[in-house]
Amino acid sequence: MGEIRAALAIARKDIRSFSRYRVAVVSTVFTPLYQFVVPAFLFGAAFAVNGRAAGLAATLGTDDLPGFIFLGGLIGGLISIAFWGIAFSLRTEMDTGTLEPSWLTPTHHETFVIGRALGSLFWFALSQVALFGLGVWLLGLHLRLEMLLALPAVLCAIFAMVGIAYLLAAVVLLIKEANFFVDTMQFVVGMLSGTAFPVTLLPGVVQPLAFALPTTYAVDILRAQALGARPLFDPVLEYAVLIGLSLVSYPLGRWAFARAEETMRRRGMLAQY
Amino acid sequence: MNLFAADARAFLAAARKELRQQRRYPTLFLGLFFWPVLLPASWVLMGHAYSGNDPQALAAFAERAGSTNVAVFVFVGYAMYMWLSSLLWGAGTALRQEQLRGSLEAVFVTPASRLVPLFGPGVAVLLPMGIIFLVIFATLWLFFGVVPPLGAIAQSAVVVALGIPSLYAIGALFAASVLRFGEVGPIVQLIRGMFVLACGITFPVAMLPVWAQVWAWLMPPTYIVDDMRRVLLRGASLGDVAPDIAIVLALAGVTALVAVAVFRYLETSARRSGMLGRF
Repeated sequence: MGEIRAALAIARKDIRSFSRYRVAVVSTVFTPLYQFVVPAFLFGAAFAVNGRAAGLAATLGTDDLPGFIFLGGLIGGLISIAFWGIAFSLRTEMDTGTLEPSWLTPTHHETFVIGRALGSLFWFALSQVALFGLGVWLLGLHLRLEMLLALPAVLCAIFAMVGIAYLLAAVVLLIKEANFFVDTMQFVVGMLSGTAFPVTLLPGVVQPLAFALPTTYAVDILRAQALGARPLFDPVLEYAVLIGLSLVSYPLGRWAFARAEETMRRRGMLAQY
Repeated sequence: MNLFAADARAFLAAARKELRQQRRYPTLFLGLFFWPVLLPASWVLMGHAYSGNDPQALAAFAERAGSTNVAVFVFVGYAMYMWLSSLLWGAGTALRQEQLRGSLEAVFVTPASRLVPLFGPGVAVLLPMGIIFLVIFATLWLFFGVVPPLGAIAQSAVVVALGIPSLYAIGALFAASVLRFGEVGPIVQLIRGMFVLACGITFPVAMLPVWAQVWAWLMPPTYIVDDMRRVLLRGASLGDVAPDIAIVLALAGVTALVAVAVFRYLETSARRSGMLGRF
């Protein structure tokens, strides 16, 4: 119970401190909008024949261009918070010198990651509501009731991403130049997960990597159930693999985080960066 | 030594300082070999997903973009994106960085012209920019098998070279303007976002609403990207794009004058309010 209270307090602290930076709050909506959503929509629309995304229909089995982009962006946003909102924020604490005092409190160190995940999920949910609202208003995004059927896949992906965030936090705490690592890895994982295009278009040599990521199945299930897109495999099998990978990634992440912490204690790295 | 020669020496010293600082952080150069390859490559794959190799979809794209060659279209757009990124994060934030380090006041008490700290850091963008263009052409050749004719490459290099003053001026205007703001990061995102949406980086300008197209054609990067695509994809000559180049050079002059005016205004205001040391 004490750990849950601590996690909620960490989340509340993160939400409060981030809300002080108004421009940064607005950019959680604006940045994905200009970096991905609007350019991807206009790029896709440039291939439209008589207002219909015939090419996308041939590739994926659905001509719902806004749906394809926004649902990919949803999982892309989840990947982003695992990398920046959770893993890299520990690095920020390290840089500002507050990680040591935080870790001297009786709260479990793993709880800090959970608290940060909850805080990041709050901003993620708000930004997605704003983005989907703008999508419906400006880009012709159609929300359907059957989209809710994909909710279990999103929840599984969130669980898996917390596990991956532990793993990333371990790496981020141990390396000195974390910015480049986080930036590039977030992009690579997003692309390998098929957030922007189907993974079948990736070169054959990197496809096994894509199929080892839980987010690949989350994106695919989401698009299949919400848009009627052609799935990569049988959806039941995809669900089984997604649940399996989520169950593996969480304990693996916790183990890696504990090892990184032990290494830092032994080498006295906590205050070094 | 006359005043002009002294300022020219100070300008070269400012440029040398920026280049030396870049050399001290070699990991920053890693990104120059990663992003120009993978970022546009991902958009080319998006193009494959959107076209589905459907001849009608490709014909529709060609009608709007002027070519069916999605790879060259996207890579040229991203060359400009990377250039703008280097410019805004580098030269665009140089004065602000000096302000944060507390060295801006010290620079201002030297007898060198104020134009030196305003335009000097822009030189540092030329090195990453050159690397970005080389990496982009190498990627097009090695991964997509696209080798434009040598003449077209040479002519597009001339378009880029003639576009440098305008981008340089944009960097100086941005550098002067951001002295007013406390947080530079979100402003860089906002301005870069504006260029990405307006200048036809990843999609044809024809896809924008008419009012946005009018704004797009007031921005030099729109002309540079379009001219490079015309030269590389449609076989246009330098003579064909000469009117555009004249507009870009004129816009460069206007932007540089505005940058100097903004900088002078902020400096006068700073003298009165003592804001140079505050941030």
